[in-house]
Amino acid sequence: MKKKPNAKSQMPKTVAALGLLLSAMPIDFTLTDEQKELQKLARRFAREQIAPVAAEYDRKEEVPWGLVEKLHAVGLLNAIIPEAYGGLGLGMLEEVIIGEELAWGCMGIYTIPMASDLGITPILLAGTHEQKQRFFKKLTEKPALAAFALSEPGNGSDAAALRTRAVRDGDHYVLNGTKTWISNGGEAETVVVFATVAPELRHKGVVALVVEKGTPGFKANKLHGKMGQRASGTYELVFEDCRVPVENRLGQEGDGFKIAMQTLDKTRIPVAAGSLGVARRALEEATRYAKEREAFGKPIAEFQAIQFKLAEMLMGLETARTYTYYAAWLVDTHQPHAHAAAIAKAYASEMAFEAANQAIQIHGGYGYMHEYPVEKLLRDVKLNQIYEGTNEIQRLIIARHILKG
Amino acid sequence: MKFVAVIRQVPDGESRLKIEGGKVDLGGVTMILDQMDEWAVEEVIRLQEKHGGESVVVALGPERFEEAIRTALAMGIDRAIHLVAEGYLDPISQAEALAEVIRAEAPTLVFTGGQQADWDSQALGPALAEALSWPVVSWTTQIELEGETQARAKHDLDEGAEVVRVALPAVFTSQQGLNEPRYPTLPGIMKAKRKELKKVPVSASSKVEILEQTIQEKSRLNKMIDGKDPVAAAHELVRLLHEEAKVI
Amino acid sequence: MILVVLEHDGQRLRKGALEAISRARQIGALGAIAGVVIGENTQAVAQEAAQYLPTVYAAEVGSYTPEKWAEAAYAAAQKSGAKVVVATGGRQSRTWTARLAYKMKAGLLEDTLETSTDGQHIIGVRYSFLNRVTEKQKAALPVVFTAKPNTTPLAEPASSSGVVEALEVSLPPTVEVLERLSEQKKGVSLTEATVVVTGGRGLGSPEAFAGVEELASTLGAAVGATRAVVDAGWRPYSEQVGQTGKTVQPNLYIALAVSGAVQHQAGMNKSKYIVAVNKDAEAPIFKIADYGIVGDVHQVLPALIDAAKKLKD
Repeated sequence: MKKKPNAKSQMPKTVAALGLLLSAMPIDFTLTDEQKELQKLARRFAREQIAPVAAEYDRKEEVPWGLVEKLHAVGLLNAIIPEAYGGLGLGMLEEVIIGEELAWGCMGIYTIPMASDLGITPILLAGTHEQKQRFFKKLTEKPALAAFALSEPGNGSDAAALRTRAVRDGDHYVLNGTKTWISNGGEAETVVVFATVAPELRHKGVVALVVEKGTPGFKANKLHGKMGQRASGTYELVFEDCRVPVENRLGQEGDGFKIAMQTLDKTRIPVAAGSLGVARRALEEATRYAKEREAFGKPIAEFQAIQFKLAEMLMGLETARTYTYYAAWLVDTHQPHAHAAAIAKAYASEMAFEAANQAIQIHGGYGYMHEYPVEKLLRDVKLNQIYEGTNEIQRLIIARHILKG
Repeated sequence: MKFVAVIRQVPDGESRLKIEGGKVDLGGVTMILDQMDEWAVEEVIRLQEKHGGESVVVALGPERFEEAIRTALAMGIDRAIHLVAEGYLDPISQAEALAEVIRAEAPTLVFTGGQQADWDSQALGPALAEALSWPVVSWTTQIELEGETQARAKHDLDEGAEVVRVALPAVFTSQQGLNEPRYPTLPGIMKAKRKELKKVPVSASSKVEILEQTIQEKSRLNKMIDGKDPVAAAHELVRLLHEEAKVI
Repeated sequence: MILVVLEHDGQRLRKGALEAISRARQIGALGAIAGVVIGENTQAVAQEAAQYLPTVYAAEVGSYTPEKWAEAAYAAAQKSGAKVVVATGGRQSRTWTARLAYKMKAGLLEDTLETSTDGQHIIGVRYSFLNRVTEKQKAALPVVFTAKPNTTPLAEPASSSGVVEALEVSLPPTVEVLERLSEQKKGVSLTEATVVVTGGRGLGSPEAFAGVEELASTLGAAVGATRAVVDAGWRPYSEQVGQTGKTVQPNLYIALAVSGAVQHQAGMNKSKYIVAVNKDAEAPIFKIADYGIVGDVHQVLPALIDAAKKLKD
């Protein structure tokens, strides 16, 4: 809401001066017409294409490739790729708007394009013009996914302790090692793999290599039995003497860790957006149920205990959304944003988990059953507290921000 | 060739309607491009893709109609004309204002929705045809151009359907089955911002006045029969229908 | 003067014509009522109409097109000096009456439930917003209005016979009808039925409709279908209930595995009693149901057929 200049009146001078100051404030919480159209498109897509099939893909633990194709057809896939390379060059705020809408339909399904953006971002940040042309072409000319491979069986949070080894051999690096928890790993056209050329150098020895689908020595094994987000394909990637051309290296040897961290500083924000979608869905389902379900002679929505739960859900959702938009704004205006992204990611995922939890509680016994959509919300959003940097790591980032000054 | 789609913006089917001061209050309601008009827009885009030429979307309504116009542009229509008029204007009066603009555009044909989800009127298309002195084919489920001067179309009657040959220019109104509309794509939304949207003020008076609107929802029993034992539930239902409702 | 356009099937007046005459008589304070029979075999049909009205025009213009009907009605309105034209609602009449209203620069009241006059205006009540809102409209004469079918008592013949007059109509440019495809009709007519049993996409397959048909035949009901079912090709469009299909108002509407989207509700929400069976407790249909069962329709339906059969005995 833009502040309107105060009308001329017989106000005392100081108040009038304050009014003038207020009217100069640039904060504007309205979305542009284009952003509203985007939101409408994503909302409609989620309602018509994602929500009706979400439970089925969750049950089967299967990736809905048809939806990936549809997302590509409407322009919602890999949209952060700049226009110069065949994408739409969407900003972070647009990503957040889209993210909330798609995740409302299904957080697992949203993780598919979200993780693809995660796989694109290192190339965006550190790739040469030639690399961007080469890799982004594959990701825009047809429905295709990217992936980001940092975590290993032996290290997640302790990223610098990664063990996947890259040994230089002429024009190639020879990759050996295993990555795990990699979203889109088995479907991706391009996987940014973080490996070490010198383990004793820890983070200074990390190199980022783009491994293309079908490279000999690169195998992807799908992980089964996830608690939630089961429509998203999660993989273990095994590299056995996998030869990756030097032209696929992003930046220099030793740049890899920084590239990974700078990537995650950005991509945490769409995770927060996904949490918003889940929280909103939880609130809508709980509200609808509370209005219909009767106990002690009236709809349970009339009881304070239920009203307090709903109120707290909205408190969490609105504050998380406003903050996530702020974090996105920092990115779009090229300002430091690491701590803000961390706050958004941690806060939104925790608030969404609690919202899903309370939504189940409001549904009572029915909330515990597959037939009702709320138990899936909890199973799905739990992962938001873990991936892309655990919420504990987020707190370290935030503390570092406080203590460095 | 030039193809025109006439559209309206209506409340989203999922919205809850409320009455304020004896009239429907659309404040806070999600407004969308009417679904039947969307079929008209999609058909116009397909005709343009097949035959070339230009596509135009025309809408008569308040400022808020602009969002629906942008949706049509985002779907792929080339340009738009928005006749701006606040307040209720009946379809016959609207037809007069629209005809003036459309006559000046001299299109090959005009497509509009068979009925719109706010006023539940089926009159706009036929009245527009009369204003233009063109034939009208209402509830069209299929259309094929035969050159630039003729079209062959299938459309629904009260009972059954009919295939007709009609001289162009003509007005067609849409019916379910005509097509499956495309989503406005993201690139489409971004391109739409740069497309021409001409605003034309309209001053017309309505021949029909809406005196009052009420929502008289038939109060329903909402009696739920426990479905755990489907056979018992079915028998209980039949018993209630026979003894309580007395309808079987 | 009031003009009534009289629906007929080429031999006899249709029920709708007698409803339209009643509507015209209700506003009889506005003047004398004339009728017009348009199409084919109009002289013979007009003779029947003359039992109800003092003057009936016969406009022999051939088979239906909106342009011909509007032109014929306009000619009759001008000849009779009518300030109000009444017709029965339906897709075809709502097309040509709109053309007529434009010709007459008249106010158009569509598909009215009831109509009245204050001497200078017609006041009509109708539904809007996909049959969710009831609205009262007012238009100054001249007015064209259509009466919603089955909302008006049928007119009784007048005490004396009227006069039939042939009406010359100059045919306007219009469409060329290449082919007429009649509706596939099976069993009881949907719009006339007192009980309707509708199946939705949740039935899972076209074969599952055998159960719907059996329940319908046991209850003497018509079979209905949702748009999703028709789009999937399981049932003919003639069975579709909803905004783009048929609107029904039976005593009992049984919705089996129907989710109840607002466009479907628009076609049946005025039914006297609504029953819904669906496995999704959140399905919108339950909000407008009088009786509901949350359960597997494949288990409930055979039991319903069984119970209905037992009732019959």
